[in-house]
Amino acid sequence: MKRFVILLIVLCLMVTLLGAKDITLRVIQVFTSPERTKILETIAEQFEELNPGVDVEIISPPYETAYNKIYLMVSTEQPLDVVEVGDWSLAGMASMGKLESLEPYIADSEMTPHLIKGVVKSARIYEDTAYVMPNAVYVKTLFYRPEILEKYNLLTPPHSMGELMAYSKYMTDADKAQYGFDWRGIDPVNFMDLVVTSFFDDIDPQCMYKTTDGKIIFEDPRALEGLTFYLDLYYQTAPKDSINWGFDDQINSFVSGITPLLFQDPDTTGLLNSLLGEDHYQTAPLPVGPSGKVYPTFGFGGWGIPNYSENKEMAWKFIEFFNSPEISAYFCKNYGALPIDQRVYDNDPYFSSNIFAGWQHMFADPETYRFTDYPLDNPAWFEWYQLQGETQQKILLGRMTPEAALKEWADFWKDAGL
Amino acid sequence: MNRSKRITLNLFRGAGLAFYLFIAVFPLLWIFITSIKPSAEVYTFPIKYWPSKVSFESYRYLFEFADFGKYFLNSLFVSITASLVSTLIALFSGYVLARMRFRGKSVLVIFLFFVQMIPAYLLMIPQYSMFSSFDLINKLSGIILVYIGLGAAFSTIMARGFFVRIPVSLEESALMDGCTRLKALFKVTLPLMLPGVAAIFSFSFVQNWNEIFTAALFLNSDSKMTVPVALYSFISKAGIQWNVLAAGIVVSLIPTIFVFAFAQKYIVAGLTKGSVKE
Amino acid sequence: MKNRKRFWFIFWMLVPVFSVVGFLSIYPTIKGFILAFQNYTVFTFNRIRFIGWDNFEEIITDMDFLMILRNTLVWIAVSVFFQLLMGLGLALLLRKPFKGRGLYSGLVFYPWALSGFAIGLLWSWLLNGQFGIVNDVLIKLNFIEEGIQFLSNPDTAMLSVLIVNIWYGIPFFAIMCLAALQSIPDSVYEAADIDGASGWAKLVKITLPYIRPTIISTVLVRSIWIMNFPDVIYGMTRGGPAKSTEILSTYMINIVYYENDYSKASAVGVLVILLLLIYTILYLSFSKGGEVEI
Repeated sequence: MKRFVILLIVLCLMVTLLGAKDITLRVIQVFTSPERTKILETIAEQFEELNPGVDVEIISPPYETAYNKIYLMVSTEQPLDVVEVGDWSLAGMASMGKLESLEPYIADSEMTPHLIKGVVKSARIYEDTAYVMPNAVYVKTLFYRPEILEKYNLLTPPHSMGELMAYSKYMTDADKAQYGFDWRGIDPVNFMDLVVTSFFDDIDPQCMYKTTDGKIIFEDPRALEGLTFYLDLYYQTAPKDSINWGFDDQINSFVSGITPLLFQDPDTTGLLNSLLGEDHYQTAPLPVGPSGKVYPTFGFGGWGIPNYSENKEMAWKFIEFFNSPEISAYFCKNYGALPIDQRVYDNDPYFSSNIFAGWQHMFADPETYRFTDYPLDNPAWFEWYQLQGETQQKILLGRMTPEAALKEWADFWKDAGL
Repeated sequence: MNRSKRITLNLFRGAGLAFYLFIAVFPLLWIFITSIKPSAEVYTFPIKYWPSKVSFESYRYLFEFADFGKYFLNSLFVSITASLVSTLIALFSGYVLARMRFRGKSVLVIFLFFVQMIPAYLLMIPQYSMFSSFDLINKLSGIILVYIGLGAAFSTIMARGFFVRIPVSLEESALMDGCTRLKALFKVTLPLMLPGVAAIFSFSFVQNWNEIFTAALFLNSDSKMTVPVALYSFISKAGIQWNVLAAGIVVSLIPTIFVFAFAQKYIVAGLTKGSVKE
Repeated sequence: MKNRKRFWFIFWMLVPVFSVVGFLSIYPTIKGFILAFQNYTVFTFNRIRFIGWDNFEEIITDMDFLMILRNTLVWIAVSVFFQLLMGLGLALLLRKPFKGRGLYSGLVFYPWALSGFAIGLLWSWLLNGQFGIVNDVLIKLNFIEEGIQFLSNPDTAMLSVLIVNIWYGIPFFAIMCLAALQSIPDSVYEAADIDGASGWAKLVKITLPYIRPTIISTVLVRSIWIMNFPDVIYGMTRGGPAKSTEILSTYMINIVYYENDYSKASAVGVLVILLLLIYTILYLSFSKGGEVEI
């Protein structure tokens, strides 16, 4: 009898073990491109090797429909275990109430003490809870073409906005098709804000659009100065077509040398390495404004777990795996983002190379390079970047004055309750 | 008319024909040329009109890196199945709507006509929630169903147009010989209708092969993607990889041109025969 | 007895198409109609309630609505008109047989087999401001000095999109007109020749009236398709820049894309159906003499 019971128990254990195998982990990405998909699939394969019985399926919707897809799938509870969310969409996504709070997982994780300061804080956009674990950060910095600047005897990158303008004007010669600043026409949010806020010295570290005494920056006369300066960069130092330039136009122009000064995110490095080669461009910290300061933001993409997922433990394991130093380095190197784990910077020579000079400098000097956050938790954020882009177009086409634009922006944020 | 007048007229005619041919063909030619350029030469200024060396790297990229063959087969499966079923349904209903008289027939025909006015995009979200409760999301069979739904009405109208043209007398003699209607349909009418059937099938095939929005919405897994969605994925944050996209367009054109060329004259017949009432 | 048999025969033959249409078109449309009066967005999906005409109000009072409406009308009217004109022209040219006509027609009709979206992408590449071949040719021919940003300039964007759509639709009209032309008996022309009619007179007095019914029904069907398949616009400009090429159908897609508001998008869909209904009714009453029994 006893033997029979033991046999039964053993059989039950075997059955549960066998049944416990064959988990399918469904991971959906949001910044799809054929190359990125390959990178993710490679990482997935490695995870599968380390975790037999787990099958990772990477879902890669076309970039333009990715967010719509995710929203639809999550809202109708289609089987998903790991969901990629970008910082701008986090509030919207979390407000659907379908994301699991990752705080308990983060508190227990061994990687947490090694993360770059401020990263997890940035992720706590919605209700002060981290619904997403960032997998990489994106910070704008100054990219430049040393060879082209040298032709004009400009041997160091511009340190301030004033210098940026001076360099750009000096190099600009429309007849020779040489310009200075790589202007962003479409979706100009982060670009315009960097320049405009650099004319302030009291930006609220929690909210880029407010000053430390709570006023909306667009009502401050310094905003007009900043905006006019930024517009001058277009009028005097950028090609006319750049009013319509998006990411790839900016890159093409930088690569061809037409505009050797560019503000961009680290994911540009991967692209530039293949199009231009590592020796032909460098990065420098963002130019500071008249106040001697500049206000960049931490952009990030990250992984979240839907609260209806049936494989949450395994999902978190995957997220941890993805953020582990070797995998993170692999991902960031190939995709072109900044790792969030300090150990990667300390140990991997790639991230201490010249190409990363700009960011290293900025991370090391928080007094000058003051990181702040966008009001991403405000429900009006969605409409905001469309509005800002359209208004910029109107100003440049002469259909609106800068003053009127600033008023419109100030009113927008007042209505949104900022 | 006199000779010189005829010559000038022919000259104008030739010029006109050349013009139409040129505008039709040159975009395709350019896309083809783009697809055989090495990637470095796609974004050059001044533009290269002919690659310095013909390179099939875009095609290699397409089939090896991006796994295009799989999507091609998926699309073939979906398009052929959906078109077959759609055509069959259309034949049944088209026959009845053409041949038989009964109360309410014209209402039904007009109804089918009005169904055309419903924008496909309006249907997508309700269909998504419907299909998700039947667990048909991310399944090729789900897509096939949607496509049948999209094409059935128009295929029926086309079929009706063809049937109207076939003389009733042949069927009637078969009926008088004791055939059931169905038998008469298959043994007598359908053989005469073959061009029409080809037309309906091809038209439906082309529509299904090219459909993008529903497929992008309903399909999740990489293994299930269809060709238009795959092409769509070459648009990423970094912009569009033109040479690969061009190669993809060329490859995806092959079945449609094949089917289309074959069925072209039948399609002509089908679309016009029903529209001019005698 | 025979009547019953007949009834069931008709019934079963019609069941497939009507159940398919009912299940996959009518039912979702009704649901879509209902959605239009609710507030179903991706963020409120668990608190759906009826909000009456709010969505419609929001759409109609949007400051771009008039522009979108105008774009829609321009889009359909101009596309159809020129597709007809050029299609007819091509059909007239193809009428008389010539060597290689089969191959020629295969080549010249192929655009019809392409997907609208792919064509939109294709042409956006051809019209690219820097690397587009159209600009290059124009510069080489000295018509312009530097590349025109066809698709980024609100003024030229609509024009470009229209031209591409016309290009896309010529084969369809050409095929329809050609078939219609071929059904005109020669005897009519011979009689006219005997009376000494000029080429032009023959065209206007004989050809056109004969194919009028075909033109009328083709135009109607085509307008509806053009409205409901905005793939070309979407592929080329996504409705931009600054909504200068946005029509009601692309507006529907963009509402889902930007605002994730399914209800509002459905409301636009309802408006589209309404517009098409009104259009069809007006069209049919003004074009008596056209047979629409397709």
